[in-house]
Amino acid sequence: MSEAILKIENVSKVFGGLRAVDQVSFEIEKGEIVGLIGPNGAGKTTLFNVISGYYAPTEGSITFQGRAISGFPPYRLAREGIGRTFQIVKPFAGLTVLENVVIASFLKYPRMADAEKNAERILDFTGLIDKKDESAQGLTLAGRKRLEISKALALEPSLLLLDEVVAGLNPTEADKTIELILKVRDQGVTILIVEHIMRVIMNISDRVVVLNYGQKIAEGKPGEVAKNPTVIEAYLGEAQA
Amino acid sequence: MISLLPQALIDGILIGGIYITFAIGFSLAFGVMHIIDFAVGEWVMLGAFMGYYLNRWLGLDTVVFLPVVFVVFGFIGYILQPVIYKVLSGKRGNPHLMGLVFTFGLGLMFRGLGLTFFGFYSHSLKTFLSSGSFSLDLGSVFITIPTVRLAGLFYALIITFGLTYILKKTDFGIAARAVAQNRDAAGLMGVNIERISSFIYAIYVGISAMTGILIGSVFSINAQMGGKYTIMAFFVVVLAGMGYLAGVPWAAFLLGIVQAIFLIYFNPGWTLLAVFIILYVILLVSPKGLFGRGI
Amino acid sequence: MKSRGRFLWIFVVVFGLFCIVPLLTKNTFFLRIATEALMWIGLAITWDVLAGYTGYLNFGHGAFFGIGAYTTAILMTKAHWFFFPSAFVGGMIAGLVALLAGFPTLRLYGAYFAIATWALGRAFQQLALVLDITGGPDGMRLPTFLNPVFFFYTMLIFVGGLFLILWFLLERAPFGLKLKAIREDEEGAMAIGLNPARVKVMAFIVSAIPAGIIGGIYAYWITYINPASTLGDLVTDQAVVMAVFGGLGTLIGPTIGAALIYAFKTYFWAYLSQYQVLYLVILGAAIAASVVFLPDGLWGAFVSRQEGRKALKKGLALKKEKRA
Repeated sequence: MSEAILKIENVSKVFGGLRAVDQVSFEIEKGEIVGLIGPNGAGKTTLFNVISGYYAPTEGSITFQGRAISGFPPYRLAREGIGRTFQIVKPFAGLTVLENVVIASFLKYPRMADAEKNAERILDFTGLIDKKDESAQGLTLAGRKRLEISKALALEPSLLLLDEVVAGLNPTEADKTIELILKVRDQGVTILIVEHIMRVIMNISDRVVVLNYGQKIAEGKPGEVAKNPTVIEAYLGEAQA
Repeated sequence: MISLLPQALIDGILIGGIYITFAIGFSLAFGVMHIIDFAVGEWVMLGAFMGYYLNRWLGLDTVVFLPVVFVVFGFIGYILQPVIYKVLSGKRGNPHLMGLVFTFGLGLMFRGLGLTFFGFYSHSLKTFLSSGSFSLDLGSVFITIPTVRLAGLFYALIITFGLTYILKKTDFGIAARAVAQNRDAAGLMGVNIERISSFIYAIYVGISAMTGILIGSVFSINAQMGGKYTIMAFFVVVLAGMGYLAGVPWAAFLLGIVQAIFLIYFNPGWTLLAVFIILYVILLVSPKGLFGRGI
Repeated sequence: MKSRGRFLWIFVVVFGLFCIVPLLTKNTFFLRIATEALMWIGLAITWDVLAGYTGYLNFGHGAFFGIGAYTTAILMTKAHWFFFPSAFVGGMIAGLVALLAGFPTLRLYGAYFAIATWALGRAFQQLALVLDITGGPDGMRLPTFLNPVFFFYTMLIFVGGLFLILWFLLERAPFGLKLKAIREDEEGAMAIGLNPARVKVMAFIVSAIPAGIIGGIYAYWITYINPASTLGDLVTDQAVVMAVFGGLGTLIGPTIGAALIYAFKTYFWAYLSQYQVLYLVILGAAIAASVVFLPDGLWGAFVSRQEGRKALKKGLALKKEKRA
């Protein structure tokens, strides 16, 4: 076991009176894929937004590679090495696929020529190189999700936060994206993934963290968590509701 | 000098009262339609001139024309709103940007029309209220209140309470507030957003134009007066917090008092600069307004 | 990448044509019109840096022009500086004002920025009216240097150079792409390491400095400035209509818009001088009508028409544009 790359300690996020994330703690180790699951409204995306700096945590602390990063704005976290994708994909619509990734590459390669070279390398890796001169808004949903991953990868992050990158894709596209995620992990990137589709999470995660009503209710290997009665109850509760 | 302070405060409240009326409409239109109307001062100007000309042609007291101006300009606003709606829901470019550019263009056009038809000269509106004034002699303090300014305050209170009543108690008002709070949800609940927007814009334009008559009887009117009132409307809504209606009266009174104090104690030429500096400090320190409730 | 060579070619030809204008005519009226046309091109493209590339509307662009004009006038008459350093300092002060005004407002929702810049324009006009050093409503006289050819070339070289620099900065360099990213989606831009407020403030400064220098050149050229002529609304109004009418988000659109609107204005004021205020009505109507009927401006409409034709030739159906 290597040391933790991300440490989340007693993090809460309160909106008005609602505790969207409530005293959550867990750690992610270098090189792992950790799945974050939970029924709808469990606070997964909120926690994601807290980790990536879009919301400041109300309580608790987040440590990334030994540095306290709670309350850092997103662009600073990007510099620290945290890349993220958005559940609702956000390509820069008026620009081409290549330009989208070039902009993200500026963080590590401030010069135009270097950034372009890096962007082409990334698009080659993610399989979008054939579409590099197309307008980003013209891509299919699968293409846009891939573009999201490409942009995050262009930051050369040590931690990648993936928000529902598989949901909404057909099975073939989904398998290709899963393959891509595993490829990224093999390059040494640590991954925290939120996903609705259980099959995906259970297959690729080394460990799973389960949230319900903002609280962590379970953590462990996918197989163990799937058998955990509290987890089953949380999901059954949702199915009955 | 100290003895002038009560007078300054009273003057300020009386001036501020008039600002409430068009600023509240402006804030309402912003909340419901998400549009900043750069033509707000021009509506005031056009309304004032309509009152002026009606008075000259018909000879009746200008105050009589308040409802006429409201109806005419309300109608203009009602038929103009669909155009703004079309711009804001445009598919290409950046619709919100285009909305701002559109009202900016409208304001410029109205100012040009005003100069073309009304000329460069200043006029004042005569009403039976213009002449009288009340005096209060409290020994060391002597306060004068012109009748017309007092009438202006009453007018402002009527408008404010009337609007508050409509927004809080009628179905239309509740629907309008729902649209302001959450457009999409209101649309899903079956509120006809476009119709609500049309009525809100009509009410706002009507009130602004009507207020022009009051302003014209207190101060004077000319075709270039619009900019001054646009800046007052901006100031009031930013101070109150954009879209936060309950903050508008307090912000308007504060602005009126700042203005009155500058008129009495300092060079009036510095008033606008003082207002601007306050605006800047607010944006720097608390962009959501004095009450932190704007968007 | 392909258009790079062609662009530079066209630029060199147009610039060359302008260069020989003074050799062809000694008509000072014509030279004056050409100089002013160049000035408006400069103001329209600098306005578009913010509006078209970043998506923030600066309704106080005239303030930067006026700040440059007044700074130049004050330095030349009170401190007896030479013209070039005065105009340069004028530009720097305009940039400084942009920094101070942009810092609190560009962090906010775009409507705040529009309001704040509009107020800024008014505030500087008022400041010039009440200060002693600016001569109040009487304005200021500058040392006279009546050499139309000098001013024509000064304006030509400055605006030509500005065009090239902006083209490089916005269309070739990382800066332009960063601006476009901010325009398209600020939240998304943050995730890839861009600090939106910082990038926007930089764009604001890039747009303000040249506007200030142009104001300085104007002041020395015209020799007399007052609050109405340099800090009035008309400077902003015209820059806005030129850029919007020509087409936002490009350099060529505002250039075309500036040339057309300025030509119209010159014609209008020359032949219909008794109806000068009617010009405001036309400007306002032109802005409003462009927004409704030509949201991409003349150039945008032209380009999409060309692209549509190309697509038709290839036998492709035009996809309806979608944009949230």
